[in-house]
Amino acid sequence: MAGHMGRIRHVVLTNQTLLSNWRVIVSDVLPGQLHYTCTSQADSPKSSKAFNKSTPTKAEKISKAMKAYMERAQAHDEMLKKETADYEIGKRHLANIMGLDPDHMTDQDVKESIRYLLPSGLYDPASRPMMKPPQKVFPKRKDAQFGMDGRPFHAFFYTGKPQFYELLYKITWKLEALKKEEDKLLQVGALFHEIEEKAKKLPLHENEWISYDTLKAMVMEEISQQDYGQFLKLMTRFIEHPLAHKEAKYIMKFRQRLNRQSFGDKIKPLKTDKDGRSFMTAEGHRKSAVAAVTVRGHGSGQVTINGLDLEYFTLNMHREQIMFPIQFVNMLGDIDIESQVSGGGPSSQAGAIRLGLARALTSFVSPDIVEKMRLAGLLTRDPRRKERKKPGQAKARKKFTWKKR
Amino acid sequence: MSAPLSKSRALACRFFSFRTVLKNNGRVTVSCPVAMKARGHNSSQKGYSSSTSPTSQKAAAAEASPLSEDVADVDVAAKSLQHHDYFGVRDLVTVRDMFKARVHFGHKEGLRDPYMAPYLFGNRLGIDIIDLDQTLTLFQDALNFTAHIAYRGGIILFLSRHRQTMPWVERTALEVNEYSHCRFWKGGTFTNATIQFGTVTRLPDLCIFLHTQNNAFLPHAAITDSAKLLIPTVGIVDSNCDPRLITYPIPGNDDTPVTVQYYCNLFKKAILAGKKKRRLDGLEQD
Repeated sequence: MAGHMGRIRHVVLTNQTLLSNWRVIVSDVLPGQLHYTCTSQADSPKSSKAFNKSTPTKAEKISKAMKAYMERAQAHDEMLKKETADYEIGKRHLANIMGLDPDHMTDQDVKESIRYLLPSGLYDPASRPMMKPPQKVFPKRKDAQFGMDGRPFHAFFYTGKPQFYELLYKITWKLEALKKEEDKLLQVGALFHEIEEKAKKLPLHENEWISYDTLKAMVMEEISQQDYGQFLKLMTRFIEHPLAHKEAKYIMKFRQRLNRQSFGDKIKPLKTDKDGRSFMTAEGHRKSAVAAVTVRGHGSGQVTINGLDLEYFTLNMHREQIMFPIQFVNMLGDIDIESQVSGGGPSSQAGAIRLGLARALTSFVSPDIVEKMRLAGLLTRDPRRKERKKPGQAKARKKFTWKKR
Repeated sequence: MSAPLSKSRALACRFFSFRTVLKNNGRVTVSCPVAMKARGHNSSQKGYSSSTSPTSQKAAAAEASPLSEDVADVDVAAKSLQHHDYFGVRDLVTVRDMFKARVHFGHKEGLRDPYMAPYLFGNRLGIDIIDLDQTLTLFQDALNFTAHIAYRGGIILFLSRHRQTMPWVERTALEVNEYSHCRFWKGGTFTNATIQFGTVTRLPDLCIFLHTQNNAFLPHAAITDSAKLLIPTVGIVDSNCDPRLITYPIPGNDDTPVTVQYYCNLFKKAILAGKKKRRLDGLEQD
């Protein structure tokens, strides 16, 4: 660095000099002339004269490390090559055994052949016999961090987690770009339109953020739980921006499919009757009450229960129970309801109609509102039944009067 | 130190640096401006960027390699030290620009670090005002030094723990093809580098602190680490910061985003100027 590129001078420092100059450093000399790791050899200047030429300089150490890395990388590549060759030969043998075309054998064919030839009753898929291409079996190794001159390749190398912090950096600047665009649209007055687009283009109800382990594997670095928390905070900030849908593709990289109960019960498509009105029928149960509900679209808010109006229910709370699902999806006055209910008492019948109504309404609304309904408890069949009376007690829970003596 | 050495004499010298210092009875010039002021010295008086004399530089370099091409390169590089402003960076800073960028705003009187007192112009309405005339010369020196480091292919590390302006610092580092560390500082990053990074690592040749303090209002740990490992530092010191361990302190506001962007811009220009000269002078080795 000091004029003769890459060669760094080794300097012997005695303890004395360090003490005297500890505050007043690098004033006389250019930084490159000094050794980076201050190895203090013996105290006397004599030892400095007998400078041991065999101890390597920092530059030599770095190039040694690079050489060692290159050798290891070469060895790894050769090993992979050999394994791939073995794998290909094995594939051909397998094709021969199974009677498949060896030239056009896919990984799926290999998987099925192995499963046929070596059936296993073991639960854990990782314990069963498998035959995979070596690239998938052997862990991906991290590439060299710096070149021959010692300069690291990555700008965030010295942080220790360059890939992870680069990810945060990218997200930050994408968010800044979105903010700039938002300012431009605000001036023009076109922001409102973009906000409407967001719900359509950024479906966040079907997926959730990737897990800590997935992120760790993605950046190939040892990140802590706090780092993961920071990542989530930043991403949440990112998607909350009104123009986040413009980066929908990038955001979806960090989302994984959600395993939800809603996916179990498929939402039935709307039917149309002879008048051209859309309708849906559904059943609901509560205690011993059974209700069959028909919901018709393009309505005016008419309610018919067993031929009667809402006045079928005397108490307001039962009427509110029926209104709740319609009010939740903001369709009050848009639909007509017909229902036949039998069994149970007024509360059970109201609950049964509510469940049937909510189930029918799922066909009228979008899947994210269905998820919200599920979270509100509208789609859950109330499993409560009357608890039996036990002997030695007055009722199910009530005990007889306790007497001390 | 001012008398030029003949080439043969230079070759005869074994090692420059502390051994030479010992020969000179420990006489070392001080780079800290506060101390310099005490000695009646001014860093910009002599007119060259670093206090290293070009001849001693030559001596060391010539001794290092007997190859003629290295000696030629040494001559080329040494030439840069003889020029007052080889990269033209001293013109990048003006008091007017600094004023517009709000560099003169310090913190309140109660937060003042006593060692920053020499750099302050005064106090107005409770706010410490930094003396931009002093900042001008110190900034010019720092930019010149940065350019020289870049000229010689040194690793430059930008540091900051200011969360608001940190993305700008990182971006500046990327734009000049250098490095940045704006995250939590792990204790052994410099002092335990070989173990932390798993292999022998080349440490930075210059640390530029856009913010000298960490989020606990204490000095950034990298300042002492750099001092321990003899890595020169350039740092923006606000009125509440401790400038003592920083090689090239630049008194100035470090809290306003506009100001930080102004600094980043200047450092970027200085580094790019240094790198451009490096290419033009043929020092770039592929």
